[in-house]
Amino acid sequence: MTEQAVSNDDRDASITDPILEVRNATVKFGMDRGESRVLDDVSIDIERNEILGVVGESGSGKSMFASAFLDAIVDPGTLSGEISYYPDSGGEVDVLGLTKSELNQFRWEEIAMVFQGAMSSFNPVRKINTHFVETLTAHGDTVSEGMERARTILSDLYMDPERVLRSYPHELSGGMKQRVLIALSLVLEPEVLVMDEPTAALDLLMQRSIISLIEDIKEKYDLTIVFITHDLPLVVDLADRIGVLYAFEFIEIGPANELLEEAAHPYTRALLKSTPNLTAPVDEMRPIEGSAPDPVNEISGCSYHSRCPMADQRCEVEDPGPYIVDTDHDVHCHYWEEASEAVPMPNDGSGTETGSPDSDQPISVQTPETRPRWAGENPVLSLDDVEVHFEATQDEGLLNLFTDPETVRAVDGISFDIYENDVVVLVGESGCGKTTLGKAAVGLERPTAGRVEYRGQDVWEAKETGGDIPFEDIRQSLQIVHQDPGNALNSYRKVFSSLEEPLVRWYDDLDGNDRRQRILSMLKHVGMSPPEDYIERYPHQLSGGEQQRVALIRAMLMNPDVILADEPVSALDVSLRVEMMDLMLELQDMFDTSYLFISHDLANARYITEKTDGLIGVVYLGKLVEIGTPERIINDPQHPYTRALCWATPELLTETDRTDDSPMRKIDIPDPTDPPSGCRYHTRCPEARDVCREVEPEMVDSGTDETHQRAACFRAQENHEYWTSESIVED
Amino acid sequence: MDWRVRRIGQALFTVWGVITISFLLVRLMPGNPMSAMIVELEEQGISPTQARYLVELRLNIDPEEPIPIAYVNYVGSMIQGDLGHSMYYDRPVVEVLATALPWTLFVLSWAAFISFFLGITLGALMAYWEGGRLDLGLTGYATVMGSVPFYVLAILLLVFLGYRYGIFPTGGRQPTGVEPGFNWTYIRGVIHHAALPVISMLVVSGAASLSMRGNSIRVLGEDYLRVARLRGLPDSTIAIQYVARNAILPMYTGLMISIGSMFGGSIILEEVFAYRGVGYYMMSAVNQRDYPLMLGAFTIITIAVVIALLIADLTYSKIDPRAGGGKSEGL
Ligand code: SF4
Ligand code: SF4
Repeated sequence: MTEQAVSNDDRDASITDPILEVRNATVKFGMDRGESRVLDDVSIDIERNEILGVVGESGSGKSMFASAFLDAIVDPGTLSGEISYYPDSGGEVDVLGLTKSELNQFRWEEIAMVFQGAMSSFNPVRKINTHFVETLTAHGDTVSEGMERARTILSDLYMDPERVLRSYPHELSGGMKQRVLIALSLVLEPEVLVMDEPTAALDLLMQRSIISLIEDIKEKYDLTIVFITHDLPLVVDLADRIGVLYAFEFIEIGPANELLEEAAHPYTRALLKSTPNLTAPVDEMRPIEGSAPDPVNEISGCSYHSRCPMADQRCEVEDPGPYIVDTDHDVHCHYWEEASEAVPMPNDGSGTETGSPDSDQPISVQTPETRPRWAGENPVLSLDDVEVHFEATQDEGLLNLFTDPETVRAVDGISFDIYENDVVVLVGESGCGKTTLGKAAVGLERPTAGRVEYRGQDVWEAKETGGDIPFEDIRQSLQIVHQDPGNALNSYRKVFSSLEEPLVRWYDDLDGNDRRQRILSMLKHVGMSPPEDYIERYPHQLSGGEQQRVALIRAMLMNPDVILADEPVSALDVSLRVEMMDLMLELQDMFDTSYLFISHDLANARYITEKTDGLIGVVYLGKLVEIGTPERIINDPQHPYTRALCWATPELLTETDRTDDSPMRKIDIPDPTDPPSGCRYHTRCPEARDVCREVEPEMVDSGTDETHQRAACFRAQENHEYWTSESIVED
Repeated sequence: MDWRVRRIGQALFTVWGVITISFLLVRLMPGNPMSAMIVELEEQGISPTQARYLVELRLNIDPEEPIPIAYVNYVGSMIQGDLGHSMYYDRPVVEVLATALPWTLFVLSWAAFISFFLGITLGALMAYWEGGRLDLGLTGYATVMGSVPFYVLAILLLVFLGYRYGIFPTGGRQPTGVEPGFNWTYIRGVIHHAALPVISMLVVSGAASLSMRGNSIRVLGEDYLRVARLRGLPDSTIAIQYVARNAILPMYTGLMISIGSMFGGSIILEEVFAYRGVGYYMMSAVNQRDYPLMLGAFTIITIAVVIALLIADLTYSKIDPRAGGGKSEGL
C-alpha cells in the first residue's frame, strides 16, 4: 500500500486489523450511449471479523462492489484500482494481480460469495450433493472430510443434511436453496463471505430467520461478512458497520446504530424515512423525490444534489469529500450538520412517539369514523368456507404408475368479505396458500368447495348456468395486478395499445381522441411524463415501477369493483414502495374500487390498511389464522404465528429495543401435502400444548366489534382445556 | 391420475383413432376402397360372391356384416396383428411390411442420430463463437435449408451424386450379387445404399443446430454458470455438465418429434431413391390401388410415431429431474 493511499483515506483510522483494503475501485462499462461508471472510485477497509452492511438501491453499483472482491466483474465491465487481502495466516494478496489459476484458487477458498439468485444458482440437472463434491474436487480437497463439513454446516442452518444432499435443486423451497447456497459457499472454509442480496427473493419470515442464522454462522466459522442489500432495516441489527452506496460511491459509513439514530447524510435519512415499518406513524413515511443519476452522465459536485432539499451552488460544483462525524463515522455531505433539521426523522428528539411493537403504547392510528362494514351494507365479494385442493404429482420414475397422487390443501376453508371501497391484505409466508386464495377470490381459480359470491351471485354458478349477473360482468369487476408486471403486459404491444384495449372494450361511447386523452392524463397522473413519450414505448423500455403503473392503470380502466394485487410492491426497492402504495390508494379513491392485497410483508400491509381502515388477514397453511385491524394485529396479536410475522418485520429500532430470538421452533413451513394435525401451527408454535396436536382451534372473536379481531388459537379463549394441557415444546 | 397413465392412455387413444379412421375410410366413404375393389374384381370376371369373399379376406371387413360388428371384427384382427392381404404382392400385409420396416428404421435412426449429434456439436460451437463467422454462416445455411423441401434436395442429390457422378447407387437397399450376411462387403454396400437418403434428410435438418445454439446461449447467461465459475470448477465440467447438459434437455423431445416428421418424409424419399422401406411400399400401394397395403403402412407409420413420442415423454423425466408433468408448484 502506498503512502498516498493512506493519506487520502485517513477516514478508516478506526480500522485496526483490516482483512480487505479496497482502493479507488472503479468499474467501467462501454455502452452505446457512452462509457458508464458503475462503481466510482470506491475506497474502503474491512475489519477482520466484522459484518459490514452495504445498503444501496438498485442501480447504485452495489452488485459491482460485491463482484469486485472476487475480481468477478462480468464482461464487458473492467475493474481498476487496488484490492488487497490480508489472510489470517499473514502476508498480503493483491487480488487484481492474480493469474487465472491463482484466482480460481483464491475464489471460494479465501473469499466466497452468495448471490441473490439462489433459485438459479444450482445446476438444475445435478443433485445438491454433486455441487458440493465438484467444488471440493475442483479445489483438491479431500471429499470425505469436506462432505463432513458440509453436513455440519447444513445442520447448523437447520436442515436435514441427508435429505438435502439427496435432492435436486428444484425439490427444495426457496429458503432452503438459499441456505444450501450459504453452506456451499462455506464448504471450503473461506475467511470472507460476500453476500449480495442473499434474502431478497424470500419472504420476510425466511429473511429474518436467515439473518439470525448468519450471525451464528459468523461466530462459529470466524467469518468476515460483507452483506449487501437494498433493505436498510434488514441489516441494521446484523451489521456492525453500514455503508450507504448512492450513485456508485459511498456517501456515508458508520456504526449501524449510529447510522440509524443519527444519520448524517440527507439521503440516508430520506432512505430511513421511506421505509415502511411497523412503528413509525404512517404519515411520516415519505418516498424520496426524483430518481438516481444515470451512470453515463458524469455528475459534477455532489451526486445527490438533484434530489437534495439542502442543495446549493457549492454542492453542484464541489465534490463533498469525507467529513468526519465521529472517529468511525464519516459522510460525504458539505452540510451534514444541518441534515437533521432539513430531513427530520420521526424518532428525532425524545424518541417517545414511537414504541416497539410489544410496548404498551399503541401506535398512532387515525380512529375510524364509521366502519363501512358495519353500515349494514352487503359485501361486494364474499368468500364462504372456500377450499382449493390440488393434486400434487411426485415423479419417482416409471414404476409407481399407480400410486395415489397427494392432495395439496392450498386453501382449506377460508371465509371473509370485502365491502365497497374496502381493503383487505392477506399476509403469510411463501407456500401458505395466500396467492391461491386470492385467485379463488377473484374467480381465477375454481374452489373445490365453498362459495365465492359477487354481490350475492355465486361466481361459478354464473359461469356455468348463468345468473342474475352475467359472468362477463363479474370478470370485468374482478381484476388482478400481478407481482411481476412484465408478465402481465403484452411485450409486443406499445403502452398505448395495451391501455386502449380496455377502453375500447368497455367504453364504446369514447372516440379515438377521447381515449387518447384519457390515457395521456392517466399516465401523467401516475407520474409518467411526458405521457406522449411513454405511450409509444414497449414494456421492456419501462422500468419495473413504470411497468407496474401501466399494469395498474390497465386494471383500473376496466372499472373493476375489486382488484387483486399480488405482492404489487415487493419487487420494488424499499424506498419506492411507499410511493407505489400511495399511488394505488389514490387510484382507489379515483375509481372507487376495493383492494385485496397479498403480501408477505407486514410493514406494507400495515401501511396500506392503516391508511384505508382496512383489515389484515393472516394466512397459514391454507387457513386464516387471524384477522383484524392493523393496530390490533401489530400491537396485540393473538395468534403466535402473527407474532412471528411481527418479529420478522425489520424494524428501525436500536439493538436494545428488539428481541432477537425467533419465536418459532422451526424455520421451514411444513409440507402442504401433509399438513400437521390439529392446529397446523403446532409444529412451530412456541406455545403449543398437547391439545393443539389433536384439536383444530376455531376462529373466535378476540377483540371488540370495531377491531374485527378474530383468531384461531386456543390461547384466545379463556376457559379452554388448552390451559391445563401439557406443553409439547421441548427445550 | 398419474401423468404417465394419462400419456399412455393418450397414445392408445391415438392409435385407436387411426384404426377407426382407416375402417371408416374403407367402409363408409362414398366411392370407398371396398366397393372399388369389388368392382375391380368383378371386372376381372370374378363372380360377385367370390369378389366379396376375397375383399373380406384382404381387408378384414366383411361387406355383408352390419357396420358395428364389422368394426369390432376389424379392430380385433388389427390387434392380433393381422393387417389384411396385399393385393399387388399377394402376400399378407404384415409380411410385406415386416421385411421393409427394418430398412426404414435403419435409415431413420442414422439420420436422426447423425443430425442430433452434428446439431449439438455445431450448435454448441455456434453459441461459443456467437456472432462469429461460423455462427453467421451456419445460421444462414440452416435458415435457408430449413425452407427447402427435402425431396427437392433428394432429387438434386440423386441427379448429381447418383446419375451424374455415380458416387452412390441410384436405387435399391442392398448391393446386388452379394450374399446377405455379416461380412464387410455386404455391410459396406448397405451403408452405401443408405447414404443418399440419409444425407438428404441430414442436409435439411439444420433445425437441431439452431435450437442447440439458442439453448446454449440461454444457458450461458444462467446464474448457475457464473456460480460454477466462481467455485473454480474446471472448464470441461462446466462445458459438459453445465452448458451442454442443460442445453440438450429441451432438444430431447424435439428429437423424437423430428423422428416423427422423418417418418413422414421417408415416404417420398424412399420413393425417390427406390429404397424398399415402409414408405416405398406405401407409395407403390397408392399407385397400385393396393388398399390393404396402403392402410397397413399408414397404420404402422402412425403407431411408430406415437411410440416415439411416448418414449420421449416417458423418458424425459429420467434425464430432466424437474419434469414430471402436472401441477407440481401449485401454490
Ligand atoms: S453535499 Fe449538498 S447536495 Fe450533497 S447531500 Fe450534502 S447538502 Fe445535499
Ligand atoms: S392453538 Fe396451540 S399450536 Fe396453535 S397457535 Fe395456538 S397455542 Fe399454538
